[in-house]
Amino acid sequence: MRTAGLDIGSRTVKLVVIEQGETVLTRKGLTSHDPLEAARALMEGVNYDTIVATGYGRHLLKEHLDCPVISEIKAFALGAKAIYPTCRVILDIGGQDTKAISLNEAGEMSKFEMNDKCAAGTGRFLEIMAAALGYTLEEFPKAALSAGRFEKINSMCTVFAESEVISLTAKGAARPEVALGIHRAIVSRSTTLLKRIAPSGEVFFAGGVALNGCVETLIAEDLGRPVFVPPDPQMVGALGAALHALKSGGREDATP
Amino acid sequence: MSDYTQMWSDLGLDLKGHDALLSVLGGAYQDIFLSQKNRPEGMKYFDFVMSEVHGLRIKELMDAKAQGRIVVGSYCVFVPEELILAVDGVSVGLCAGAEFNFEGAEEVVPRNLCPLIKSAFGFKRGLVCPYLEASDIVVGENTCDGKKKSYEVLGPMVKDLYIMDLPQMKSGPGRALLKEEYAKFLTRLEEKSGRKVTAESLKKGIATVNAKRQAVKRLAELRKADPAPISGLDALLVNQVFFYDDPVRFTASVNTLCDELEERVKKGEGVLPKGTPRLVISGCPMAVPNWKVPFIIETSGAVIVGEESCVGERGTRWLTEAQGATLPEMLDAVTERYFNIDCAVFTPNPSRIDHVRDMFGRYGARGVIHYSLQFCQPYLVESGPVETALEGSGIPVLRLETDYSQEDMGQLKTRIEAFVERIHQG
Amino acid sequence: MSRTVEPLINDEYTGGPPTKRVLARLQEKRKEGRKVAGVYCGYAPTELILAMGISPATLCAFSNATIEAAETVLPANLCPLIKSSYGFIITDTCPFYGLADVVIGETTCDGKKKMFELITDLKPTWIMDLPQVPDQEEAITNWTAMIRKLEGFLETTFGARTTDDGIEDSIRDINRRNAMMREVFEFAALRPAIVGWREMYDLTFLAQGSSGKDMEPVLTEALRKLEERRDGGYSYGPAGAPRVMVTGCPVGGDAEKVFAIIEEAGGVIVALDACSGFKPYMTDTAEGTGDPVRALAERYLKIPCSCMTPNARRLTEMTRLIEKMRPDAVIDVVLQACHSFNIESHKVGEHVEKVHGLPFLKIVTDFSLGDVEQIRTRVEALLESC
Ligand code: SF4
Ligand code: SF4
Ligand code: SF4
Ligand code: SF4
Repeated sequence: MRTAGLDIGSRTVKLVVIEQGETVLTRKGLTSHDPLEAARALMEGVNYDTIVATGYGRHLLKEHLDCPVISEIKAFALGAKAIYPTCRVILDIGGQDTKAISLNEAGEMSKFEMNDKCAAGTGRFLEIMAAALGYTLEEFPKAALSAGRFEKINSMCTVFAESEVISLTAKGAARPEVALGIHRAIVSRSTTLLKRIAPSGEVFFAGGVALNGCVETLIAEDLGRPVFVPPDPQMVGALGAALHALKSGGREDATP
Repeated sequence: MSDYTQMWSDLGLDLKGHDALLSVLGGAYQDIFLSQKNRPEGMKYFDFVMSEVHGLRIKELMDAKAQGRIVVGSYCVFVPEELILAVDGVSVGLCAGAEFNFEGAEEVVPRNLCPLIKSAFGFKRGLVCPYLEASDIVVGENTCDGKKKSYEVLGPMVKDLYIMDLPQMKSGPGRALLKEEYAKFLTRLEEKSGRKVTAESLKKGIATVNAKRQAVKRLAELRKADPAPISGLDALLVNQVFFYDDPVRFTASVNTLCDELEERVKKGEGVLPKGTPRLVISGCPMAVPNWKVPFIIETSGAVIVGEESCVGERGTRWLTEAQGATLPEMLDAVTERYFNIDCAVFTPNPSRIDHVRDMFGRYGARGVIHYSLQFCQPYLVESGPVETALEGSGIPVLRLETDYSQEDMGQLKTRIEAFVERIHQG
Repeated sequence: MSRTVEPLINDEYTGGPPTKRVLARLQEKRKEGRKVAGVYCGYAPTELILAMGISPATLCAFSNATIEAAETVLPANLCPLIKSSYGFIITDTCPFYGLADVVIGETTCDGKKKMFELITDLKPTWIMDLPQVPDQEEAITNWTAMIRKLEGFLETTFGARTTDDGIEDSIRDINRRNAMMREVFEFAALRPAIVGWREMYDLTFLAQGSSGKDMEPVLTEALRKLEERRDGGYSYGPAGAPRVMVTGCPVGGDAEKVFAIIEEAGGVIVALDACSGFKPYMTDTAEGTGDPVRALAERYLKIPCSCMTPNARRLTEMTRLIEKMRPDAVIDVVLQACHSFNIESHKVGEHVEKVHGLPFLKIVTDFSLGDVEQIRTRVEALLESC
């Protein structure tokens, strides 16, 4: 059977198709202002038997395509377990959410935490701060890692942090040091979530922000625990959804 | 629906703001309650009450006032309805659950306050709550910091604000203080109403309120059945109407509803299929029209089978012992009854955890959702130990912190769905 | 213009954080075999504790560093003082907590009272149920009973004993300490100012858990120096600097940023109207009443803390202080998520503006440095209006 998983996030849409336990196709696009259209475009010409949707736009898809949905928390848990069967702690930093998930011995979800409603400490926050400092998203972590010291960023509210960054640079602070400060701010936010639910163990780090090498390094440092980033960290949720489709044959709807 | 415009403007309501509030309320009610499937017939009465919550019921209050009865508004279940009934007064709950005129509220109280408090100020300053405007006396009680200090600001805005002090620990002096406060309150009620409390009238008051509590306890009992004979939303509504309606009529209507539910249970009928994950919700009170989290829960494949909240079991589970023949003896019984309430403003507050655990078992629940209103420090701080203790006994817990806004609907839905998934796998 | 003068307290700790000095003194007491009781609040009856031969140590913490650790357990929306204190405890880094044999807490605000529940297993902890309506007769009776119960707790825990005479002596001793402190504040009332906030804060911080006997030499010396400064025509801060009174939540450590900003903006702080400042020294306990514990209860319930309702005394005491210190502006410092001071600020602002005709500014802040520039802008604007 060929099953598909679609993860409609706040910034990007991801599609994974699996067959006989192997990933046979992955695709990615921007969510844009019309997530349904973005999803359709991604699914164009792709064959599958069943599909399961996840991510923040999942219910939209459920309405329009009548497919089952699972929460992205479960999707990440399933995807991470498939990639790294012994992992017990998952951190996912996406466009507007940060999630920490812990799994039990059987690899089932046991606890999770999510950031509260503001975008503090998420991918969106990084994007805005990179722009405020005049870096591209690729340059940003490299610049941060090049800094020997850092400027402490105190505010985690996106709006306040942005003005803090601007006033720091106005005072002549070195850009890489401010960049490192921002990265540290994000990391401390995420590790607080992690410590609440999973005080020990290796961390499986997924989501768009896992592509940021500086965040990865700092998390490992802050926690004093190893951090594993899968080859395609943005695809973990979509993979989880595809796996769920396989398991349930697309019939059982986990969250009607 | 009759035209109540005259009555509302006599009460001094701001008609434009009030219309706006009513239309939001009506719309939400339609979407959340009337769209539910398999609703019991008995809920029709409550639909009617809600449709007339600013109409007929207010008319009744005005009629009662015309007969010389007083209307007493309050914000907390520590204000004993028995005593109010003993002077033939009408007790109404004033807690507000809508994000209305927060800008107006934030001119006099800080932004970082629990939405229950801000909503109360939004209503007052926006002049949209007929219950508040109709109250001859408003009782403020010293519970949490937010309320205690806000009453100082509310004082000059209402006709007659009466402050009731409460202990913060369940100690001997604490009990004595509560008793003293209730005695003082009784005196104040007598002055205000011009009626004397007699052993007879207090006895009757106690019986009326006990009957009302017994009716909701009966409803709670029926929710043990799987499939659940009534949705959590509808049960919550009954618990909310508890604070507004005429107590005798309310009791009768709840009992009628329960008769019907008994039939359902016998036939094995329910609102959702048997085996639907059952949840207990525990935490801050949910005042009308704060239906956000229960709505999300019950549209995410779970059903709520109990509320450990002041709009729920924490407010109703104890009856006042019908003991003693003299006023002081009965006042003792009333004090004892209220002294049990395990609100998080008390320190320490261990019986609350025991009660949640007990409800979890009694209602065959599979998880507990801890609900805190944003900036409510007593419940927010207590949520940590509650979670640790319950998870320690193998009870899945999800902690939520939210306010009255709609912004976080998506986030809450994701969390709640994931929690339901977690329960499913277990 | 200011010249350098000898600091009021001139020891190895001068210029550094006042906590170090207090810690050293406590360690000495410890070495002498005295027991230490950790306290969190101005309502802890110092006189009784000292009369029992126990040294009080303030556990309120003002450091941003431990907040992150605290937030793994406590909600983020809690006052930084509580989070910081709790953070120190769970990371086992608070030397004062380390020294404390017992902890005494009061049901002042929701945050503290619920936080205490999380630390009761760590050390013997005694919570006093503080009345909230200080002017009722029951309040005095109940608080008297609470102080008696505290005595019982300290007796059973330490085998310490005192008598009513012992408490009476301690009352007189602390009254003397307070009177001397108020003499110091008289100098702060001079125009131009001859003492800055740092020196006053050093004294108020040190005096908090100290007996009158221990404070006497320090205060005698300080008073002598103040007289010399006055007679020598010394002035503190720039000529004509606007005089600022700071009121509100306790301020110390990382929150001192507010004081620093006020001075950097050209102001001089003449009154610290908080538990970390003048408040503990403003009222005396009645002597020779025959019931010293009740006298203590009466005195403590006069503390105009925002946890009381209605806290009318805050305004009357403030008026007294304003009349004495003659500030040109009042700044109310509210720690983030401290509901009681935050709500009360509305009344305080009206009082300051309407009754005293003074410019008023409310600052809500925490222990981080993120809002320094924002605060600076607002303080500068306030001082410009003086
Ligand atoms: S939660 Fe506490 S303060 Fe609120 S209504 Fe209940 S008892 Fe009163
Ligand atoms: S919900 Fe909490 S903060 Fe709000 S009124 Fe009730 S106890 Fe106070
Ligand atoms: S401000 Fe109030 S609670 Fe805080 S130390 Fe002072 S008296 Fe205690
Ligand atoms: S500053 Fe306010 S919230 Fe903080 S401990 Fe003192 S009274 Fe409590």
